[in-house]
Amino acid sequence: MLLLKKSLVNDLTDVGNLRKALQIAIELEHSTIPPYLYALYSLKPGQNEEIRQLIRSIVWEEMSHMSLACNMLNAIGGSPEIDKPDFIPNYPGPLPGTVESGLIVPLAPFSPQLIHDVFMVIEQPEKPNNYPVNPKMMLATVDEPLTIGMFYEGIAQAFRELGEDIFTGDASRQVSSWRIQPVTNLATALNAIETIVEQGEGTPESPMDQGLMGDEELAHYYRFAEIYNGYRLIPNASAPPNAPFDQRYVYGGAPIAYDPGGVWPVVTNPSSATYTPGSSAQFAAQTFDYTYTGLLKALHMAFNGHPEHINASIGMMESLKGLALGMMSTPYTSDGKANSGPTFRYQPVLPIQYPPATNA
Amino acid sequence: MSYLNGLRLHFAGRFQAAPSTVNNDIMHFNNATFQPNYQEPQKGKNANGWWNPGGGAEWRLLGCTVQKAWLGPDSPVSAPDAVLGCVVADNDRRAPAKIVDLDPLQQLVSEIWGLEVRLCTPEGKLLLRGQYEVAGFMDIWDRAQSGGGDVGAGSMYQSVLTDLEWGDIGSSPFLQALREAASDNLLSIKFNVDGYNMDFKSPEFTRGRVVGSIGPATKNEPQHFTLGRQFIPQDTGKGNFFQPAAGLGFCVARVNETDRRIYLDLGNAIQTTVPGGPSSAQGDLQLVLANGNKPISAPIPYLKPGWYEQTAGVVVIPADRPLSDDELSVIKGNLLGMQFLNNGVSQVTLESPGGVFVRADRFVFRADADSAVTAHLWATKYGAPYPNATIVLEEDPSQLQAQTAPGNPQPALPTGVIGFPSELTADGHGRAELRIEIGDPEQYRGFIDGQVYALRPSLAEIGFPKTGFPLGTWNFISFLVWDKFPYPQPVTWLGSLQPIFQQYANLYPIMSRFLNLADPADVWANRELLYMAFSLPMSNPNTMPVTRDLSTPKRQAILSWLSHSDANGQPLMHLGTAANAPAQPSLTAVSDAVTVPPPQPERGGKAAAASRRLILQQAP
Repeated sequence: MLLLKKSLVNDLTDVGNLRKALQIAIELEHSTIPPYLYALYSLKPGQNEEIRQLIRSIVWEEMSHMSLACNMLNAIGGSPEIDKPDFIPNYPGPLPGTVESGLIVPLAPFSPQLIHDVFMVIEQPEKPNNYPVNPKMMLATVDEPLTIGMFYEGIAQAFRELGEDIFTGDASRQVSSWRIQPVTNLATALNAIETIVEQGEGTPESPMDQGLMGDEELAHYYRFAEIYNGYRLIPNASAPPNAPFDQRYVYGGAPIAYDPGGVWPVVTNPSSATYTPGSSAQFAAQTFDYTYTGLLKALHMAFNGHPEHINASIGMMESLKGLALGMMSTPYTSDGKANSGPTFRYQPVLPIQYPPATNA
Repeated sequence: MSYLNGLRLHFAGRFQAAPSTVNNDIMHFNNATFQPNYQEPQKGKNANGWWNPGGGAEWRLLGCTVQKAWLGPDSPVSAPDAVLGCVVADNDRRAPAKIVDLDPLQQLVSEIWGLEVRLCTPEGKLLLRGQYEVAGFMDIWDRAQSGGGDVGAGSMYQSVLTDLEWGDIGSSPFLQALREAASDNLLSIKFNVDGYNMDFKSPEFTRGRVVGSIGPATKNEPQHFTLGRQFIPQDTGKGNFFQPAAGLGFCVARVNETDRRIYLDLGNAIQTTVPGGPSSAQGDLQLVLANGNKPISAPIPYLKPGWYEQTAGVVVIPADRPLSDDELSVIKGNLLGMQFLNNGVSQVTLESPGGVFVRADRFVFRADADSAVTAHLWATKYGAPYPNATIVLEEDPSQLQAQTAPGNPQPALPTGVIGFPSELTADGHGRAELRIEIGDPEQYRGFIDGQVYALRPSLAEIGFPKTGFPLGTWNFISFLVWDKFPYPQPVTWLGSLQPIFQQYANLYPIMSRFLNLADPADVWANRELLYMAFSLPMSNPNTMPVTRDLSTPKRQAILSWLSHSDANGQPLMHLGTAANAPAQPSLTAVSDAVTVPPPQPERGGKAAAASRRLILQQAP
């Protein structure tokens, strides 16, 4: 499982610290999106369709989790910082807030191994019987890294202790379209946290959570596990009513087909040095990064007093999808065997390639 | 004021224009005869979907930097003013701008929609942001002496930047002066494009050179051209688009009596040796009095290396001193010309006859049937307002691009669809509002919506000569008029929408990266995103369709369908029972049954479109 620095939840009853924790939450939720998108867009059109839909459904919820974290930060008078160079982590690298010895997350094309070794680790819940009974006591006494669930529980606990008084944020800063729930008080804040944690990890009792559309669905960890195991997760008909939790479901439903030929041969962990200067691939990568940076700017606007900018953000996401699919379906090496992929770097202007005029 | 002014900056860099080219051929709009290979790039003699079927219509500024700036005619901006070397960039927090043709029968006024222009430091720190008011290109011509076709073409865009947002300009006295001068919160921007790369194997594919200028603007002047002395070249008829008889393209000069200078813009007027390359030597270039060709300027240093990028073609006359009263008086009352003098041979491009001129500011319109649009006309004489000028108007489809193959829809028919006065009088400032009543083309073109029309303004003393265009070949107004579209309620896929979506799926293969527009289930599954895209204003870069060629009632019908479902939450496919539903046409089946016209390679690019202009087909 992903392990976060324990210091993230130190003294969250100080509103300043709570805001910092929520900023980390925003960065953490965002940081999963580039690697998930990279794997998603590496799937060839019309192939591995079921896998595509599962990953896409998870990415949408990660975007919504990032939005909920922004809404929470705004609700307590903070200002999400999204338009800044270090908002995007370096890939491959650790995700924001994680312990240094933790998981290294790459930008890599889809593979069952990637799902198992990285994505399932990101979303993995703590084992149900290991959940703390009282997180606050646990946090005070156990000097060990946190899971994402524990991190959010720390934030929830701070919300409960600080109560309604900290919800001083301007309600007009809340983004409330595209099924993103506004946060304006303790109840909506706790609800947002429950949504984030349950959609990611499920609950100790069940792998199910409430999806964006209000219907029941599997938590991210179990959706990834379905892909890895190649079968849908279904209730275990042969389990007795009092069976332990981990025996009540079984990866025994309809198979989820995986065709390795249905994945583009996309480069892993491309960097700005991967593509030849002046090449089409470099231009495409720079254009993608410029647009991705623009998306962060649009989101920054949307979560800093201009919620209407969320529509422009969604428009940019569609642009990025087109750019990424274009790259991933195009070889960039001379032997034509490796396709390009976006680098996800902060790039506020396109680099100057035009030769400056010569002075006479 | 305008960019053609003492206070101005010049920039140079690259642009990208990546239209989809499947829709360059009107026959590709016919769902019944559409072939899958129309979505593939041209191969050898097979035109398929032309040179860029996978284009997404993006329009971008790439690596543009400020080359030079001026606080006034004698005051170049010098270091450390932050404006020098800063980046002229485009949209940074919304989708890229879009390049859009008006119609397959009018591809010579492509507009840029949804462009934001920013000045920022090389690190991306904002100095200025403005919204580019949509504008089409004007004055396309054969700029390069070699290269041919679209690759050798040059053209220009002129517009204004609105909704100005200034960043920290404390370290730029130039930008402070510009903000001060932009009292109407408007800036004027003009850029020239050439050297376009159409070789899909090149890393520079879909890119070209852009060189332009930015200066202050006011509300009391046109947004898309400059009031001034208009030099009107005449066409030899031997080029692809327009080959100037005297070697110089369209250009304008502005006499500024306060500065006592002439500001002349040659940015889209000097030929190049190769596409996007250096200026071609044509001899000494000078501003002259038309009567006797007496030079009134020093030779213009258009061959100096870097001259074009650093000046964007803007020349200050005289460069080093103000004009005297006598000089001003001569210039104001006499016809001017631009002369190339080469080994004693003089070629002169004259100012418009008698120094009079009229033009519509915005010159590209889309309109629903049974509506009206207003064009703003400006009449000038020797560059000054021409009070009470008698403006005359005539429908003139000569520059529209017909298809020659039999059975292909022709432009500007039926007649009588655009209603306008044949004559109107300008006000005391030389201005006139022209209201055009829009009728219904009544599906004259069948498989493609609406029709294109063209309306040419002139002045009574000029009229409409049988040959030539004294006020400029490209000086006319283009219209795309959409058919009426009555649709039954509730809107159903098979009842109203299937042909529309099938056509977009055919013409824009890039959309298959997102969804299959021809598949109602896929469209329905993406209905929230599509509802947003179809309801955005046309000025938004994310609006659908990107081609901005769907009438208001058609967009309304789509929005209605996307927001209604049957009792089971399913999309409305047809009225009544399934048995009553019209059969969904199967592309393959229909294609087999219809004789498919052979591809015509000459239909592909703008040069091909230009070669189909009616004026060339009807030549005596």
